[in-house]
This record gives sequence, C-alpha cells and structure tokens, in this order.
Amino acid sequence: MRNNRSAIVALCAVLLAEAGCAEMQPAAEDAARRSGNPRMVEATHGASTLAASPLPIGDEEEKSIGEAIALQVVARYGGTIEQPDVVRYVNLVGKAVAKTSDRPDVPFRVAILNHDSINSFAAPSGYIFVTRGLLKQIQNEAELAAVFGHEIAHVSQKHLLDVIQRTKRVAGIGEEGLGYATKDPAVFKNVVDNAVKTLLDEGFDQDKETEADALGDVLAARVGYDASAYVGLLTRLRELKGDDQAFIKTHPNFSMRINAVQEAIRTNGLQSNGVLLPDRFAQRGKVV
Amino acid sequence: MKRANAWWYGTVILGAILWFGHSPAWGETLYVQTKTAQLRAGKTSLDSVVGNVRYGEAVEVLSRDGNWTEVKTSGGAKGWIFSSKLAQSNPSGGSETSARLGSSMRSGDASAVTASTGTRGLDKSSEAYADRAGILPRDRQAVARMSAYEIPDEEVEEFLKDGGLGEYAK
Repeated sequence: MRNNRSAIVALCAVLLAEAGCAEMQPAAEDAARRSGNPRMVEATHGASTLAASPLPIGDEEEKSIGEAIALQVVARYGGTIEQPDVVRYVNLVGKAVAKTSDRPDVPFRVAILNHDSINSFAAPSGYIFVTRGLLKQIQNEAELAAVFGHEIAHVSQKHLLDVIQRTKRVAGIGEEGLGYATKDPAVFKNVVDNAVKTLLDEGFDQDKETEADALGDVLAARVGYDASAYVGLLTRLRELKGDDQAFIKTHPNFSMRINAVQEAIRTNGLQSNGVLLPDRFAQRGKVV
Repeated sequence: MKRANAWWYGTVILGAILWFGHSPAWGETLYVQTKTAQLRAGKTSLDSVVGNVRYGEAVEVLSRDGNWTEVKTSGGAKGWIFSSKLAQSNPSGGSETSARLGSSMRSGDASAVTASTGTRGLDKSSEAYADRAGILPRDRQAVARMSAYEIPDEEVEEFLKDGGLGEYAK
C-alpha cells in the first residue's frame, strides 16, 4: 500500500517533470526509488532527459554554426573562386530560387569552390556551395537553379540542424543561444565538427537526399524554370560517373534520385516546358 | 413536389461545393516576402499597378489562379500579386520564439562581430572556431565575404525580368 502511494506520488512527479517543472525532478526520482518499481525509476530518468533536451536553434546560433561549417567547407575544397561577375550570377540564380522557399527570411548566398569534384553543399543559415567541377557539367540556368533548389531544400527542411540538435542533446547542452560556445569553445568545435562530418564525409540519410531532390525541383519550377532540366543533369551525371558512384557513399544512386524528381513532377503537376536559358548561363556562368 | 425539392436541395449542395472548391484559400493570411511588391489589376506583369505592398505586410487571400494570388491589404486595396512573393509565415520575424532566442540575423548584432577579416568579419564564435581548427586567413576572408554578400531585391527582380521568369514569364 505504501509502495502504491509512493508510486502514485512518483507518477504525478514524473508528469510534472515532463511538463517542465524542473523543481519536481528530485522529488520524482526520490519517490520512484522508494516505490521500489524499476520501471518508475526509469520513467523519472527519462523525464529528466526530456527536460534537458536542447531548445530550438535560433537565428543567431544558426548563423554562427553555419559560418563555422562554411569555414571547413572552403578549407577542405581548395578555397573559393573570386570571379565577381560569375559569383554575382550564381547568387542571382540562388536568390531567385530562394524567394520561393519556405524559409524566405534566410539570407541565402552562394560561393564557387575551387575544386574539380562534382558536388554541392549547404550549411545552415543559407551558405550554399557549388564546385567548379559541377559548374562545368551544367548546360543551362534551369539545371543550376535545380541544384540550388536541392541545397535550399536541405536548409529549409533543417536537415543539418537536426543533426546538430542530436549532437547537442547527446552532449547535454540544454541552454538557450550561444552561451555554451562562449563558455567552452571546445564544445562548440565538437558540435561543428560533427555536422561537418555528416555534410562532407558521411552524407544525409537517403530519404533526406531524395526529399531535397524533389522539393528542390519544385522550388526551381515555381520560379518558372523547366522542371525536367534536373532530370537531364542527373541523367548525364549517371552516364559520366556510373549509377553507384553518386556524390558520396551514402547518397542514393542516380536512378533513385531521377525517380524521385520524376515523381515530384508528376504529383505536383510541374511544367516541363519552362525556361532553360542556356545562352545566359553560357555567357555568365562559366568559370575560367 | 418531392422531386422539385430534391432538385432544389441538390442545386444548393452542388453550388456550395463549387463555391468552396473555387476559392479554397478564402480568408487565409499570407505575408509579403520581398522588399516591395506590386499589386496589379490582372494576372500578368503587363497589367496596370493598382498598389504597392512591403516586406512583412500581411494580406488576405481572396482567390488564386495559376501562379497569381488575388489579395486584399489591411488598407482595403485589392489586386493580384505573383504567388512566390508571398509566404505563409511572417519573414520579418516577431514571433515569440525568435524574440526569446535573441536577435535575428536581419537586425545584425554588431557587438558579436569582429573586424579581423573581410568587410564585416566573422562572428565571435566562428572566429574562435577558425582559431582552434587552424583555418587559413585566405579561407576566413572568403567566408567573411560570403557572409557579407548582399544583392538588392531590385536587382533580383531585374534578373527575373531579363530571363522571363517569375511573374515576367512569357
């Protein structure tokens, strides 16, 4: 009977602790121990963990993390190409597509990486990168817009921010904003390095990549670009690299990605007679 | 008589379905997500301008047709706007979450910025990260330039016009 009473007290305390009443946590754990019920002890510990979950990442923190990740991307991919006219052009294409995203408040900006590999990346807070190697494979502005659409989708869907949230949870960081980074720069470095590992070495889950492909094509089509242009680019890359040689190991193969885009075109009724602009791309988007 | 009633009720129900089906977004509030945008009398960029709206301004959706949305401003002005200029959430911020989590990027916290690289420099946390990670000055400057890179909305608009994109589609 006494154990039952303790259990009820513990259960109430757990509910309060889960509701955010941190003051109740010690009482909950104490009552759970006295109830002699191991499940209750586990539940109170779970509530404690839940209460310690990190808060959402705000704009200021996202900007700092995004900028730090951008530093690693630039460092590992040979720096950036500084051809003002081309940089301006790719930024105009990126801004045009970003206007249609679900996070229009993010200040998207694009840099060209001085690297021959065929790749593109996005860091939080709108840092978009395209390699010289990928730019060389692109044949028109609609293809470039779809590549940027893919990267903008990663940012708008907060794919990398989710990874960072998990890292912070594991590290036990539960405070608002950038206070943890100021207190201990080593902790901030670990958070950033883990995100870089996902972005550059391991890749996102395959479903996140196909989601970005599909949404990215929708974003580009909303601006008026030809929705089938991205299928053309992915098909050429498949021929060039082979189906299993997608950008990095964990990416879906090109055939899966092409299917995802074609499905997005069908289900969203996207137009395949939109604008391609091969001439404008040839004049303004070619790196030396 | 019964047949006449059934016909009448059927007409009312069909009318209701057509009415709500025609204008599913009636009454929805959206927000302007470009610095400025024009309301036009019709659904093409060639139609006359009947009003202007500003970044973050709330508008009420009256109807939709293709890539265009008919809206009404709080001042009562009505007109058509290209749909990609509207967002479901207020891009100018002001939500409780963003207020609680500190200043937004648009407000630009000058105190958190150092001037060691580029025109504006990296922020304090990423500068400290760069020190720990051994990032070269060349790469720091590249990212600082990237962070500071801005293109006015008017130029993006001109770019869209030149390419026949967005509301300027031919």
